[in-house]
Amino acid sequence: MNISYRKLRWAVGVATVTCVVAACGSSGGSSPAASSSSSPSLVVDTYFQLKTVDPSREFEGTGQMVDKALYDTLITFKGADTTTLIPDLATSWSLSPDAKTLTLTLAKGRVFSDGSPVTSADVVFTLDRVAGIEGNPSFLMAGVTASAPNPSTVVLTSKTPNPQLPYILTSPSLGILNEKVVKAHGGTTTQKDAAETYLNSQSAGSGPYVLSSLNVSSQVKLVANPKYNGPEKPTYGTVIIQNVQPPTQKINVQRGDAQLALDLTGNQVQGIGGNLQVSAGPSGVIIFLLLNQSPAISKLTSNADFDTAVKDAINYPALLPLAGAGTQPATGVIPTIFTGSLPAGQGLAYNLAGAKKALAASGLAGKSVTLNYPSDNSPSGVNMNTIAQAVQSQLQAIGVKVSLAPQPTATELENYRDGKEQIGLWDWSPDYPDAADYLNFGPGALVGLRANWTPAKAPQVTQLATAASAAGASDRAAAYQAFQKAMNATGPFIPLFQPANHLVVAASVTNAVYNALWTVDLAALGAKK
Amino acid sequence: MRRSSRHQPGTAAPSREDAAAPAGLPPVGAGEVIATAAVPTDGAKVRSSHPLARYLRRRLGVSVLLLIGVTLVTFLLTNLVPSNPAVANLGQQAGSDPKVVAAFNAKYGLNRPLPVQYVIYLKNLLHGDLGTSLLTHQPVLSDLGTAIPATMELALGAIVLSTLIGVSFGVFSAIRRGRAVDQGLRVISLIGISVPTFWLALLSYYIFYYKLNIAPGSGRLSPTMTPPPHVTGLYTVDALLAGQWSTFADAAAHLMLPTLVLTAYTVGLLTRFTRSAILEVLDQDFVRAARAKGLPSRIVLRRYVLRAALVPILTLIGLAFGSLLSGTVLVESVFAWPGIGAYAYQAASHLDLPGIMGVGLFVGIVFLAVNFIVDLLYGVIDPRVRVS
Repeated sequence: MNISYRKLRWAVGVATVTCVVAACGSSGGSSPAASSSSSPSLVVDTYFQLKTVDPSREFEGTGQMVDKALYDTLITFKGADTTTLIPDLATSWSLSPDAKTLTLTLAKGRVFSDGSPVTSADVVFTLDRVAGIEGNPSFLMAGVTASAPNPSTVVLTSKTPNPQLPYILTSPSLGILNEKVVKAHGGTTTQKDAAETYLNSQSAGSGPYVLSSLNVSSQVKLVANPKYNGPEKPTYGTVIIQNVQPPTQKINVQRGDAQLALDLTGNQVQGIGGNLQVSAGPSGVIIFLLLNQSPAISKLTSNADFDTAVKDAINYPALLPLAGAGTQPATGVIPTIFTGSLPAGQGLAYNLAGAKKALAASGLAGKSVTLNYPSDNSPSGVNMNTIAQAVQSQLQAIGVKVSLAPQPTATELENYRDGKEQIGLWDWSPDYPDAADYLNFGPGALVGLRANWTPAKAPQVTQLATAASAAGASDRAAAYQAFQKAMNATGPFIPLFQPANHLVVAASVTNAVYNALWTVDLAALGAKK
Repeated sequence: MRRSSRHQPGTAAPSREDAAAPAGLPPVGAGEVIATAAVPTDGAKVRSSHPLARYLRRRLGVSVLLLIGVTLVTFLLTNLVPSNPAVANLGQQAGSDPKVVAAFNAKYGLNRPLPVQYVIYLKNLLHGDLGTSLLTHQPVLSDLGTAIPATMELALGAIVLSTLIGVSFGVFSAIRRGRAVDQGLRVISLIGISVPTFWLALLSYYIFYYKLNIAPGSGRLSPTMTPPPHVTGLYTVDALLAGQWSTFADAAAHLMLPTLVLTAYTVGLLTRFTRSAILEVLDQDFVRAARAKGLPSRIVLRRYVLRAALVPILTLIGLAFGSLLSGTVLVESVFAWPGIGAYAYQAASHLDLPGIMGVGLFVGIVFLAVNFIVDLLYGVIDPRVRVS
C-alpha cells in the first residue's frame, strides 16, 4: 500500500500548497483604503437601502445620503440639527401669511456639474418632475405648483395652507436637476419619463460630488465635483459606499479598511474602543403599537377601557434596554428632535394598578388578542421579535393573553395598510423633518385609518389636528403638543420609544454627525491633519 | 425516469455508511441511461441515429419542459404570497396613493390578469428578456450577469479544492479504516458538516482579517480598486485578460477566505461520502480477486476501487457544485459578496417577481446542466453504461 499513500500524500500536498499560496496572496493583496490619491478617499460601510439615485424617484435611506451629496436642495440643514433652516440653492424665502405661497430667491452664480448655471427653470422642471412621474417621493409635492417669474425667483403655490413646505424642501428627493441634461436623456415631467437609467450612471446636479459608478446591490462611488461652487467644498476626493452587513461593518471599521460604519446597534458599539469615535443620537424613528378601533377586527382593542389598560400595562422604561443602548423614551408620536414634540416626562407612563382597574372596567380580562409585526424588520437595529415578546409578557401580567403573529415585512405590510391588524407593532421614520408629517397618525389620516380610527370616533382630536395644521409659526409648537396630549389620552397609538443611531467613525475623520434625514452629510466630513 | 433516488444523496446518503451505490449492481442513475438506450430500435430508419445522440436529444427535450415547469412554479408561488409587489416596493405614503400604485403596476405590467402576465413573461423570455427588477430597476439579465460570475468564482474554487481534499481524505480514511487516522478524519469531516457556515465565516473573518491581518477585507475587491473591464465577469480572469496584475492579486486574495469557508463544509460532505463508497467497493469479490492475482496495490486502488466508487462520488460532487452555485446566502452576506445568493434573498424579501423568477430559472438551469454533465461522465467512467 506504500505507493498509494505516496499518491495520497501528493494530493493532500497539492491542496495544502493551494491553501498556503492563498494565504500568502491574501497578505499581499490587502491595502489601506486611503493611501494612493492626493486628496484622501473615504470608505463608508452601510447595509444598503437603495434602489435608485434618481432623486425624484428615490426615497430610501442610502439613497438619501447619496443624493444629498450629488444634488443641492433649495433649503437645507446643518449637522445634526433638523429645526433651523439653512440657505442652499435659495438664499432667501418668504411664506405668505396664509401659508399658501412660498417665494424663493436663488443664489447667484451656482452651477451644475457641467458648468451651466442653476436657474429657476431647472427648479420648476425638477419639482414638476417629482410630482408628475408618480414615484415614491411624489407626495412631497402634492397640491403644490411651481412657477418661475424670472430666472432667479421661484414661486411655489399650495392648494391648502402649507407652513411645512420650507422644511419639505430640505428632502434630498427634491434635489435640483439640470433640466437640459435630464431632458436630453429622456426626462419629462410625466409618467413617460425615461431619465432614470441615465441618472443611475451619471449625476446631473450641482452638489459637491458627482456619481462615478453605481451598483445598487454592492457599491456606490462618488468623486468630488470639480465645478462645485457652493459653500461646502468636500475634503474627500473620492467616497466609496459599500453594502456590508452590520457584523462585518464592525470588523471593517475596527481594522481601518472602512472609515465609517453606519448601522451598528448600541450593543455592537459598546466597548468598540480603539481609535474609533462613536457619535450617537436619537434616530428620528418612533416604534409604536397600534390598537385597532374597529369592533369587526377586535372587540378588545376597540374598547376604550381596554386600550387604557394596555397603555398603563406597558412598562416603558423596561423596554429601553431591550431596544439597545442609547434608546430614549417616546413622549408622543413626534420624535423629540422636532419642534412640536412633547417635553420629557409628558408621555405615557407605566401604572400597573391603573391597568388592572381599567381592564376590570372593560370586562375583557382573560380574553386573547393577536399582535402582528414584521419579523424581518429591524429599524435602527431594534429586534422587533424581542419587543413583541416583551409586550406580550407585560400584558400577560394584567391578564391579557397576547398571541404573536410575526410575518415577513412584505407580507405583513398589506395587513397593516389595510387596517386588518388587532394590535400592530411598527416603526415610522420621518418623511420630512416637520411635525406636520405626524398628522398622518390623526383620525381619518394615513396611519390613523390603519387603526380604523375615523374622525367620527374622535371629534376632539380631529379638531386639534386641524388646528395644528393651520397654526401660524408662533403657535405651531403648542398646537402640535396639544394634539399629541389628546392622542396619548384617547388615541389608538402607543409610542414605545425612539431607538438611537450610532455612527462609528475612524479617528482620522472629523465632523461626522448623524442627521435623521440623510444619515451623514458626506461633503461636510473633514480629515484630521 | 428513476431520478429521485439520485437527487438527494447530498442530504440523505452521507448519514448512512451503506449509502454508496452498491458496486455489484449497476449504479443508480446509470440505470436510467441503460433503460433509455435499450429501447429496441426496430429497424426504424428515422430513429436509427446513434443511441447516445437520441438519448441527448431526449434529455434536452425533458430539460426544456422542466425549465418551463420551473418558471410556472416560481410564478405561481410568488403570486400565492398574500401581498402585492406595489405595497412591498413603494414607500408608506406612495403606497397609499392609488395614482402612484396604478402607475407602478402599469410600469411593471402587474395590472394585467395573471395568466396574461405569465404568457408575456414566457414570450419575453424567448427574446432573452427576463424583465426589469422591481428592486434594482435594472434588467434582471444584467443583474444576473454580475451576480452569477461573482458566485461562480467562489463555487469553482470551492468545488476544486474540496474535491481534491475531500476525495483524498475519504480514500485515506477508508483504507486505514478503524485506525487513528480514520477516526481523526471522521471527526474533522463531522465538524465540517455540523459547524454552521455563517458562524465559521464570521469567525474566520475575525481571525484572519481582523486579528492576524493575513486576509483582505470584505467584498470582491479592495474598495479603492476599480473592477477590470467586463469580459467574463470573473474578476480574476478579467484582470488577467486585461493584464492588470495588481487587480488580479487583489481579487484572488479576496476570494480565498470565502472559498475556504465554503470548502470546509463540502470537504466534510465529500470525505464521509467517499469513505463509505470506497469501503463498499473494498469488500467486493473483484477487488479480492485483483489482490489475489498479485496486482500491485497502486493498480488495485486506482483501477479497481477508485473507479468503481467514482460514480456515486461524482454525483455528489455535481450536486454540491449545483448547490454552491445556486446560492450561498450566508457566506455571501458575511463577506459582502454581491453574488446570486444575496440577490435571491433581496429579491424574495422585496417580492421582486422578475428577480425571483430570474434566480429560479438560473438555479433550474444549473441543476439540469450539472445532472446532464454527470450523466455524461458516467459513460466515461463506467464502461457498462457506454457499451449498452
